[in-house]
Amino acid sequence: MTEPAVTARAFFEKARGGQLTAIRCGSCGELAMPPKELCPNCHAHQWQPVALTGDGTIASFTVIRVAPRAHAADVPYAVAVVRLKEGVSVLGRIVDIPLEKLAIGLAVRFRPLIGKDLTTSVGFGPT
Amino acid sequence: MRRVAVIGVGVTKFGLHDRTSAELFAEAARDALTDAGVSAGAVQALYYGNVVGGETEHQLHTGPQAASVLGIPSVPTTRFETACASSHAAFRHAVMEIAAGVSDVILVGGAERVLNVSTAESTEYFAYASDAVWEQPLGLTFPGVFALIARAHMQKHGTTEAQMAAVAVKNHRHGALNPKAQFQKPITIEQVLKSAYVADPLKLFDCCPFSDGGAAVVLASEEVARKHRKPVWVLGSAAASDWMLLGDKRDLSRVPATERAAAAAYRQAGIGPSDVDVVELHDCFTIAEIVATEGLGLFEPGAGGRAAEKGLTGLGGEIPVNPSGGLKAKGHPIGATGAAQVAEIVTQLRSEAGPRQVEGARKGLTHTLGGNTATVLVSLFGRD
Ligand SMILES: [Zn+2]
Repeated sequence: MTEPAVTARAFFEKARGGQLTAIRCGSCGELAMPPKELCPNCHAHQWQPVALTGDGTIASFTVIRVAPRAHAADVPYAVAVVRLKEGVSVLGRIVDIPLEKLAIGLAVRFRPLIGKDLTTSVGFGPT
Repeated sequence: MRRVAVIGVGVTKFGLHDRTSAELFAEAARDALTDAGVSAGAVQALYYGNVVGGETEHQLHTGPQAASVLGIPSVPTTRFETACASSHAAFRHAVMEIAAGVSDVILVGGAERVLNVSTAESTEYFAYASDAVWEQPLGLTFPGVFALIARAHMQKHGTTEAQMAAVAVKNHRHGALNPKAQFQKPITIEQVLKSAYVADPLKLFDCCPFSDGGAAVVLASEEVARKHRKPVWVLGSAAASDWMLLGDKRDLSRVPATERAAAAAYRQAGIGPSDVDVVELHDCFTIAEIVATEGLGLFEPGAGGRAAEKGLTGLGGEIPVNPSGGLKAKGHPIGATGAAQVAEIVTQLRSEAGPRQVEGARKGLTHTLGGNTATVLVSLFGRD
């Protein structure tokens, strides 16, 4: 029995401290976002954690104006798929960037978002 | 493998209802059995689609619930949940059960009730079909998912908001010809473009509505179907999946699951996109129709927006798409949608669609997408 390289819980604990973590396949070199048991490229189970810089660019974004109940007080807010420098992508909430400044290709940097319920989620702000 | 046919279809009006989803399904199922000319006693299984029954109706175990309300409590029944593609997944599994020789007559359908709760509440429940750990906490919504796809498509291919609006205008024009549609009034490009943003660049009129409704179809083996007046044959039925997380999808301007499911269904049927005469596809948002027409091979990647603007997908156009009005105008009771699309294609191939008939249609296609594009089903149909 082997432990997963990075559980979702471990990812968000690291993220809370400002560190994004990816996993790299020891068999084929594939870089992926956790949690994944098997490498989607070669199906090996040889993950190693990789610290990411947190720097990336916006691949796509939207400004949400009709929100689920839990986020109704936040509208309007932006979410974006961010392509990280290392080649993996992740969805995050955009903070501290004026909505009209958002554009595909804009450089952003990871920052942890701590919710009212003290859970951590992925945010991106200016570099 | 045995040939499988659709021999009966039934759909409720879509929109606001004061009945449970099981009651809505039962109405559609009774109509489908009457249309098929088979008694309820002949049904050997029920394959059922329902998505947010647990949330909006506090009802799980919706398969036997639907069978009980219909009045066939003893048949084996299973509820399928693949988000908005649920009853299309149910359909594909029923096709396989008949093709394998296990059963001869199967009822397939689905129903949904959401208009008994607020928009903020249903927006939250629909978001449950995206990842609960990584995406829901960010406030991602379904319009948000397709807005991200729209922005990527606009960037890569130059697709415009006016081209997306053309899809909405066309589907409302079609919906005005469908007495079962939730919206039966034409709209203008200006109305779409002036409607409020829900998730930029998608506006209110780019989005399908929340709907209540039910749909059902009766499937039969060739031996049973031959006794029927107008069997419509299932030529192929395929499913494909893709990454759940938006970040894991490599190119947001495409829906790879559509491309894979379409390739498999065309291969089963031994036909290609140019053989298809009429299409019912998953236009939960206007951009979804544009991307689907590309993924199904009806137009080249990136050409879907221009094709919509030129009217190629309207009734009388090169390849009519969503003659029913689509999810946009007909409505989108998510558990019922896949079965309702099959019902429309069967009606078209029987030449019984009245003012929205695609003249001389011999082959049809249905395409249903689940949630964040992680599930797609494609089926192909033909008449004798
Ligand atoms: Zn690998």
